[in-house]
Amino acid sequence: MKPDSKLAQSIENGDFIITAEYLPRITADKQSVDSVLKTLGNGLTAVNVSDNPYGVALSSLAASAGMATNGIEPIFQMVTRDRNRIALQSDLLGAAYLGIKNVLCLSGYHQTLTASSGSANVYDIDSIQLLAAVTGMNEQRVLINGAKIGGEFSMIAGAVANPFLEPLELNIIRLAKKVKAGAQFIQTQPVFNIEKFRLWIEAANQEGITEKTAIIPGILPLNSFEEAERLREFYTDHIIPNEIIDRLRSAGDDTIQKNTGLAICSEIIGTIKDIQGVCGIHILSGGKEDRVPELLDMSGL
Amino acid sequence: MIVAQRKIIPEILEKLKYHKKILVLGCGTCVTVCLAGGEREVCIIASALRMASKLHGYSLDIEELTIERQCDNIFIEMAAEATERNDAVLSLGCGAGVQAVAERYPYKPVYAGLDTAFIGILEERGVWTEKCIACGECVLSDYGGICPVARCAKRLLNGPCGGSKEDRCEVSPDRECAWQLIYRRLKDIGQLDRLKNIAVPKSWNKSRDGGYRVIIRDDHRI
Repeated sequence: MKPDSKLAQSIENGDFIITAEYLPRITADKQSVDSVLKTLGNGLTAVNVSDNPYGVALSSLAASAGMATNGIEPIFQMVTRDRNRIALQSDLLGAAYLGIKNVLCLSGYHQTLTASSGSANVYDIDSIQLLAAVTGMNEQRVLINGAKIGGEFSMIAGAVANPFLEPLELNIIRLAKKVKAGAQFIQTQPVFNIEKFRLWIEAANQEGITEKTAIIPGILPLNSFEEAERLREFYTDHIIPNEIIDRLRSAGDDTIQKNTGLAICSEIIGTIKDIQGVCGIHILSGGKEDRVPELLDMSGL
Repeated sequence: MIVAQRKIIPEILEKLKYHKKILVLGCGTCVTVCLAGGEREVCIIASALRMASKLHGYSLDIEELTIERQCDNIFIEMAAEATERNDAVLSLGCGAGVQAVAERYPYKPVYAGLDTAFIGILEERGVWTEKCIACGECVLSDYGGICPVARCAKRLLNGPCGGSKEDRCEVSPDRECAWQLIYRRLKDIGQLDRLKNIAVPKSWNKSRDGGYRVIIRDDHRI
């Protein structure tokens, strides 16, 4: 059964997909959640709800359910870092019960990179095994252990890829496995180096991967060169070329740097949206949800 | 081998504070090789404890002994008299050794002088690295002899995470990405196709998750 989600429909129709990331905060206050969601504005196909990337925050399941109730379509992010297969599958059933139609399967930043660096990790299964589990739940209505799901279960599963993971051969093997395991869409780490991104997606095109999945490159508005340097230093999946950092540094004061950050994104969007195999864009807010409508506006989306 | 490292002297001293006569008991196997709990380290720790206790205004009476294997009752027996004449034992064995000694001498306090760290190898002089977590169901044959369970920080079985950068792990710049090593090794031995298969979820029953493990070999039982 096909899930009746906007995201699934857009993939099927070949519409240009626009998603954005919402980062839940350390709060249980409904109003603060609503106000952040309001800033995201209209024009989005769906909104990703991140799963504790930097440590404890409002649960992505609860926030996703709240969004679904308020008419915003969530992409429920699940990392395999904090939950074993029992909890993951139980939460998938829970998510479907609460009206969630989209799930993004990730391994998640290692817990030593979070604010709870002393916690244990789980990693009972990896992101590809989680994707395969969702596919099994969708297609055969069975859990990993073969137990039958009562009634319907319908959810569209996606995964993350880093276009800049080298060597390219290993990168494509991994991407192909994600698609084979059932990833119907792929959101990527932030793209700043268009030429390298082009090499990656051309390789994916050649392997026939882009025919089977919707590639949605990540776009990250940077507020300052300091932020760019910090992200690049601390998170190895953030590949930010020196030219980008130099451009921000030489732009001027804080306001001009913020505008330059948006201008960089807008230029990247302008170029990559026409690359063969690109099906949309995913705005990685990193908690700066207020930049999303500005960027969409500037990019004419 | 099992790799361990010595606890700091103040921590050991604190644990021993209710005793006067201490047997520092070394082990001649793994912890000797990794320079943590052999005859030489017994001598060093005993001297350090004597000095440290004097600096604190009292004097520990310390006896030194190293047996061949602390995880084996036949050898533990050889420490029986020395254990008897002391108030407590400071074991420089691995976690298995400390427990084996404690089980053999139920009325004698036994303290751990080492932190047991991992199953690993000597990489270069003074550097040991972890290679195995004893998961109970070896997957090395599928990964070119490099273990993703022990050496990938997320124990991923299907390829690297997005944080693998220039051969390093996202956790720390001084750790290698196991998946880059697995990829290169499988390519070198002509088995890269192995990576294209989706590895199914591993059963962790034979690992620590199934409770502590016991092996019974009926063919060796009397």
